[in-house]
Amino acid sequence: MMHLLRIEWLKIKGYKTFWVLATLFLVSILGVNYFAYNIKQGISQGSNGTVNSFLGSPFSFPNVWHTVTYFSSFLLFIPGLMIITSITNEYTYKTHRQNIIDGWSRQQFIHVKIALIIIIAVLSAIFVFLTAIFYGLLSGSDFSFEKVEFIGYYFIQALSYCLLALLLSVLIKRSGLSIGLFFLYSFIIENFLGAILNNTGGNKGLNGPGDYLPLNSVDNLIPFPFFKGLVPGTQPSIYVLFALSAVFLFLYYYISVRKFKTQDL
Amino acid sequence: MFIFLQFIIYHVWVISFSLSLILYQTVLLMSVLTVENLYKNYGSVQALKNVSFSVPPGSVFGILGPNGSGKTTLLGIVMDVLKATKGNIRLFDKEPNADQRKQIGTLLETPNFYHYLSAQRNLEIAAAIKGQDESDIPRVLEMVNLTQRKDSKFSTYSLGMKQRLAIASCLLGDPHVMVFDEPTNGLDPVGIAEIRELIKKLYHQGKTIIMASHLLDEVEKVCTHVAILKKGVLITSGDVNEILANEDIVEINSDDNEKLLMILKSLNNYTKVKEAKNCVQLYYPVSTAKLGEINKHCFNNGIVLNHLQLKKKSLEDKFFELTNN
Repeated sequence: MMHLLRIEWLKIKGYKTFWVLATLFLVSILGVNYFAYNIKQGISQGSNGTVNSFLGSPFSFPNVWHTVTYFSSFLLFIPGLMIITSITNEYTYKTHRQNIIDGWSRQQFIHVKIALIIIIAVLSAIFVFLTAIFYGLLSGSDFSFEKVEFIGYYFIQALSYCLLALLLSVLIKRSGLSIGLFFLYSFIIENFLGAILNNTGGNKGLNGPGDYLPLNSVDNLIPFPFFKGLVPGTQPSIYVLFALSAVFLFLYYYISVRKFKTQDL
Repeated sequence: MFIFLQFIIYHVWVISFSLSLILYQTVLLMSVLTVENLYKNYGSVQALKNVSFSVPPGSVFGILGPNGSGKTTLLGIVMDVLKATKGNIRLFDKEPNADQRKQIGTLLETPNFYHYLSAQRNLEIAAAIKGQDESDIPRVLEMVNLTQRKDSKFSTYSLGMKQRLAIASCLLGDPHVMVFDEPTNGLDPVGIAEIRELIKKLYHQGKTIIMASHLLDEVEKVCTHVAILKKGVLITSGDVNEILANEDIVEINSDDNEKLLMILKSLNNYTKVKEAKNCVQLYYPVSTAKLGEINKHCFNNGIVLNHLQLKKKSLEDKFFELTNN
């Protein structure tokens, strides 16, 4: 696998789009959290104790793990985009065919892409980990590993978004359409479907079967971090979410590999 | 003394091993590629219908057919980028696998490279996948005259340069078998001549070359064997001389062709005689026309020939004859 990854590295090393997106992703993680941090500071300074007690101290340890992973998770479409562009790029220039012709098996081609996805998910989790430490210390609290499991949830989210991106790229093959569908699904279709599902069968409207859709189930691993007592509805069980995430991750993997191994390239 | 004996034993072993390898390649290996009853459907379109043939080692095997006859589909299935609907492929008398493809230099349809990388970087990727050393890259770039542009991005290359880079990539590691799909596509006349010379040179080095082409004279000029495809059906395959030149044609001419036709009646062995524009054509089975005897016969019967020429039937004629029935 190391040899295959070295070849993958040769491919992406000179691929500008990939690095521009990667840089944007990292800058945005720092940026979006700074934005939230700033607002929080503004509210705290200009208000009385009641608001502050509801807000809590989201950027202090241990809550900072939750808060930073929550805000960072909104940016996971960027690594998804990196995956889609680098894979559909192979389709556009038929280099996936050439890799097979030159002596990779179809299995090796798709597995090295999945290895790349895992690496990207690990690296983005590490970066979010460092970002959380940064804001935690910035807010003047004492370092703590309590609630650090949110970094793990974030890793699962990153993996899920990237594998969905892989699946769409392998199924659609064309970059424009894949990107369009990826955005449409992750921002609109799934939320829409979720709302419909949650409003059926006598549900209250905020929780229900819609929480268990592919992306919602990983998104719900890291719930909205503020006003915990004020938001109505119940948080789905973490074990159910774990199980569902695993099922969806496996499906993305299985369908992508199977499709790539059997289709005409 | 003991070390010396070991030395001798080792060398005997190495020599016998390499000899058996050569023996294997020349005698035991019956076919580089065998295609058996291959079918391929794209939806309702049948791209290949029951195609079978085999490529002997050391041949230049031409797959000839008009556009859309299934040549690239066939080679795509051999290289596992397309899946056959039905049928079998064998490479080196074995089930095809990825490691075998590493031993074959293949150019399929179009040059496929990373457009944002230079020629050098692209070849580094190809060499790494094939398991070849990067030190072979300067040699192959030199062979296709791209050394000076090796650091330019692939996207800045002209069509002909892209094609030459693809051929360079095939040559990496000096493989014994090469597959070229339309190798002279996009090349200028000088480039076409260079590639043909290169293919001939590779053939003389004992390499097996499988070449798809819609250019009739290309196949005629470089191939030893040919398979002719039309709309996915294999019309014929075999030795190029047997398939393409099934007749010798002797063209003769004199000042009095009426008298010439008269005296030809007493000449033996030809299959038919035809009066063409400005000459008389005599048809013979392959390699049986003896020009000296014809000349002597005519002269003895009082006719002086001012034109006497042996013509192999052109591939183009043969191709139209084969595909237009």
